[in-house]
Amino acid sequence: MPLRLTYRSWPRLLAATMLTGLAGCASEVIVESTFPSPLVEPLPVNMGIIIPDELYNYIYTEDVPNQSLWTIALGDANVAMLEPLFRRMFREARTVTAVPLTGSDTDLDGVIEPTLEKFEFDVPVGERDQFVEVWMQYQLTLYEPDGRPIYQWPVSGYGKSELTRNREDAVQRAAVVAMREVGATISTKFAEQPQVKDWLGEKENGTTAASGPQAAAGIPNEAPNAE
Amino acid sequence: MKRQTPSSMNRLHIMALAVTMPLLAACGVTSRMEPYKQSDAVINEGEHVVILARKQHANHETEEDFVECISDALAKGSTGLDVHASKEFEDKMYPWFEPSTAPLSTEDLTRLLARPGVLEQVRTTGVRYLVWLDGSTDRVASGGGITCAAGVGGAGCMGLAWWEDDSRYDATVWDIQDSESEGTIHADFKGRSVMPAIIIPIPLIARPQAHACRGLTDQLKQFLTSPQGYGGPAAPDVG
Repeated sequence: MPLRLTYRSWPRLLAATMLTGLAGCASEVIVESTFPSPLVEPLPVNMGIIIPDELYNYIYTEDVPNQSLWTIALGDANVAMLEPLFRRMFREARTVTAVPLTGSDTDLDGVIEPTLEKFEFDVPVGERDQFVEVWMQYQLTLYEPDGRPIYQWPVSGYGKSELTRNREDAVQRAAVVAMREVGATISTKFAEQPQVKDWLGEKENGTTAASGPQAAAGIPNEAPNAE
Repeated sequence: MKRQTPSSMNRLHIMALAVTMPLLAACGVTSRMEPYKQSDAVINEGEHVVILARKQHANHETEEDFVECISDALAKGSTGLDVHASKEFEDKMYPWFEPSTAPLSTEDLTRLLARPGVLEQVRTTGVRYLVWLDGSTDRVASGGGITCAAGVGGAGCMGLAWWEDDSRYDATVWDIQDSESEGTIHADFKGRSVMPAIIIPIPLIARPQAHACRGLTDQLKQFLTSPQGYGGPAAPDVG
């Protein structure tokens, strides 16, 4: 998949490039892709979503011995992966800035905040029969509207891609595979976590009248305020 | 310069032939195809097939360009089939055909299709047959060597290098409509390439992956269009 630089990505990468470029050989990757909405049944809860600035602006740098100084920008991809994911996973998903919730957001059942905790990658030196590998771990924190944390869930994803002449392109493709894996795990396993299951049960019992029939999977879920 | 006589010309021809023939014989592709079909199902008008790579293995994975090669070749020609684009199918069915979630057996497929909205989504794609590709092309042996040198008077190489690639693939056909496996085609194509260098290197490259693509495509077309009773190992070919 070709690298594409967007208006929003440029300032972040420029700063990183100025630093890394001076250091000698540098490889820059802006991970960008479109991520499909998951084909899952929305959970019967209205959720606030906090996307922290660190996630929007996530840039990973690592000086790989005998290779180069790698700079991998994941901010745009984080947003592109998580927003449609949460919009489809819940009956309603709305962007909020912080917990505890205030004002009109107090009608939400809970808040979810993803963070990217770990990112690792490996680019082999040889060129034949080898793969670029990417491993990443997000953490999802589920809060009550009053800010009490309910559950912290580490979710990891692994991706690999054939090593081609364009190493940056191979890293980009492996990162996208890893992110798709993360999205797949979140959308299929979130409701199966014991604490989340209990919490969902409580919410459903407490708001039976409001929950109504669940929308069929495949029909887009409206998210009025989600960006 | 000494003028060559007819007898010395003949000797040169014989020597050239003696060198070239073993090289040409050494460069080639041998194939083995083992198709197995356990039903008489065939693809009907309006039904699509999708080719997907198995991605559960840590060490190898079917190459993206090989999946594309099979997809394109199946759709080509007057007898071409309706082939659904692999990436588009994975996106439409996301997250159910990712490496960690893809069904590994037809029982898994049955469970997946029972999930809300999944069967309906499959129907919108028009896909009835799913072909899982498993395998890869690997270098299994190599040897020889070429030495090159350059000087004021010129440059040149001398020597002989060779390598052998093995393309092993399994294509397993699932019928999504009936949630059952229809059979498997095993393909094994070995190719030996040689590169003699007498002043300049002359690459004689065998392409087992391209042969495997053609061989598997032909077998898959037959598999999906002929009822039970088809098949038979393909004759070895030399490329």
